[in-house]
Amino acid sequence: MLGFLTARQAGLDDPLRLRRAESTRRVLSLKLNPDRDVDRIHGNGINTIDIEAIEGRYMLSGGADGVIVVYDLENYSGKLQYTCKAVCTVGRSSKYVHKFSVETVQWYPYDTGMFVSSSFDKTMKVWDTETLKPAEVFQFEGNVYSHHLSPIARKHSLIAVGTKEPKIQLCDLKSGSRIHVLQGHRAEVLSVRWSPRYEHILATASADSKVKVWDVRRASGSLFTLDQHNGDKSKASSEAVNTAHDGRVNGLCFTGDGLYLLTTGTDDRMRLWNSATGENTLVNYGKVCNESRKRLQFTVSRGCSPEFVFVPCGSSVAVYGLHTGELVTMLRGHYNNVDCCEFHPDYQVRHTKAPGGDYSLLPDEFKDEPVEQGCDVAKLTIS
Amino acid sequence: MNRKRALISDTFKVKKRRYGTQKFGAVSDGDGPTDIRATLEYLMTLFPRRLFNDTLPQIVLKHQLYSIHNDKTLVDKELNKLRERGELLMFQLGFDADTFGLVFASDYKAKVLAGEEGRATRATVEKFLQKLPSPCTDLSFTKDKMLREFLFTDSEITQLVKSGVLTVRDAGSWWLSIPNSGKFTKYFIQGRKAVLGMVKKSKYSEVLKAELEERRTTSHVKFHMKYHIHDIVGAELVESIPTTSGILLRFVEP
Repeated sequence: MLGFLTARQAGLDDPLRLRRAESTRRVLSLKLNPDRDVDRIHGNGINTIDIEAIEGRYMLSGGADGVIVVYDLENYSGKLQYTCKAVCTVGRSSKYVHKFSVETVQWYPYDTGMFVSSSFDKTMKVWDTETLKPAEVFQFEGNVYSHHLSPIARKHSLIAVGTKEPKIQLCDLKSGSRIHVLQGHRAEVLSVRWSPRYEHILATASADSKVKVWDVRRASGSLFTLDQHNGDKSKASSEAVNTAHDGRVNGLCFTGDGLYLLTTGTDDRMRLWNSATGENTLVNYGKVCNESRKRLQFTVSRGCSPEFVFVPCGSSVAVYGLHTGELVTMLRGHYNNVDCCEFHPDYQVRHTKAPGGDYSLLPDEFKDEPVEQGCDVAKLTIS
Repeated sequence: MNRKRALISDTFKVKKRRYGTQKFGAVSDGDGPTDIRATLEYLMTLFPRRLFNDTLPQIVLKHQLYSIHNDKTLVDKELNKLRERGELLMFQLGFDADTFGLVFASDYKAKVLAGEEGRATRATVEKFLQKLPSPCTDLSFTKDKMLREFLFTDSEITQLVKSGVLTVRDAGSWWLSIPNSGKFTKYFIQGRKAVLGMVKKSKYSEVLKAELEERRTTSHVKFHMKYHIHDIVGAELVESIPTTSGILLRFVEP
């Protein structure tokens, strides 16, 4: 590490290189943090979390009881021991709370004034954070498994929604219309994700074992379907043609640069795909335990030199190298099953949620230097 | 100025120097270049030939290699290279969509022809083996491929299925298979179940690998214990944990 710092000082290295080296070092030494904790508001399990992209300060969480909580992750107390406080809650007493479990929450990508939540009560609500009242409610015919707003969209403000119906609905935030429908899947759509590279590219995963990639500007169907055998028809039985997995596909995640797409399925496999051609890169991660009937929320690190994938696996989180497929480590600390995890790019903190209402933050520990200085090193070189 | 640009990931790789040749309990693979072919040959020696009266070629399962080498992606790549060179053949064994059997191509051809001695189907099988493309990367064949590329008639295809070289996959397509491999599959599954049962019944569902190899096997386990151990470790049915007394195998709940 000292080599990197000296090289940066002397100007021999690009500033980004030091930042990446430090991020990688932190990810490799991730441990359960005994000092930081999060307020326990949820009584039952937590299904989904989202950290806002602008400051990385506020975290949303949606629980199995329909409750939505906003937390402030910043530590202004000056003490090392700190519990992240809940800023506001849409609790069971609120008139507008979801009736059943909240499956997905997401901040509006450009500011924290708005967030969107979807739930098994067949609705998707767009909330105003100030008043905690829904500005818009979209009704659907089936349980809503997942929704996603494009993080980079400038020309459109569409929310892609995956429900129990085989068609994907695109709801427009600006006009409130939802006439745009993407047809092609044959079973319920478990996960939808916009590409972080192109604002019109959408990937969807369904229980019929297929993953389709769409360009929403096209009138005809999907761009391509991911095939795990890369077109080699002799490898599998003939029903398994053009499938991404041998079971339901329940997790989708793009890498930070949008060049690769990761999918997980109930056949206990995780596959890495080239998102431009749809080719299976055949990286072998081994058995990635997956028993989820709903969407599996997993995440990829951003800004490290070999990227890492964090997948909830039973009651721990498995960390794999993205391109090598080797299991780097298992992060243990939860008492119950881990449902979702999210990566915080500035602090390399990983937040994981479990059904017992248990939160875990895992930054690595800075024993020799106070926390502020350590964080500054990562923020130091943003050129 | 000559500055070697190193990858950031190399800085975080731990390279432990081992002094002396003392081997403690935990023996791990060195990080030298992986020789897949040597590993394959070692695993082939574990296959019991006399059990099948030498009629079967030596079969190794693809996931047994994962138990020896850490990097699965590298193993897959090397195997594909060997298959493209025409030295190795891969088969779908039928009991699991993910399980593949590997046989050396020369072994396979020799054993199949030996098995066909004096049978009426011999000529067709010889013709089929000759027609097989030398780097054969296909695991299955469809009907029109057989008819057009290989110029086989329907009755010849029936003869091939009868002789065991092709197995029905579904209407109009066939898997490439090893004749008389049914016995192998039966003993293999029986043995795997028995060994897994031995691990599961142990105290805390875990047993040291060295101790498991020493144990007396029941009549259900017909293969070498090491063959089964490589299989269950590679298929991730047991977790392999390095300890100070050696490698510990712990049963994994499915």
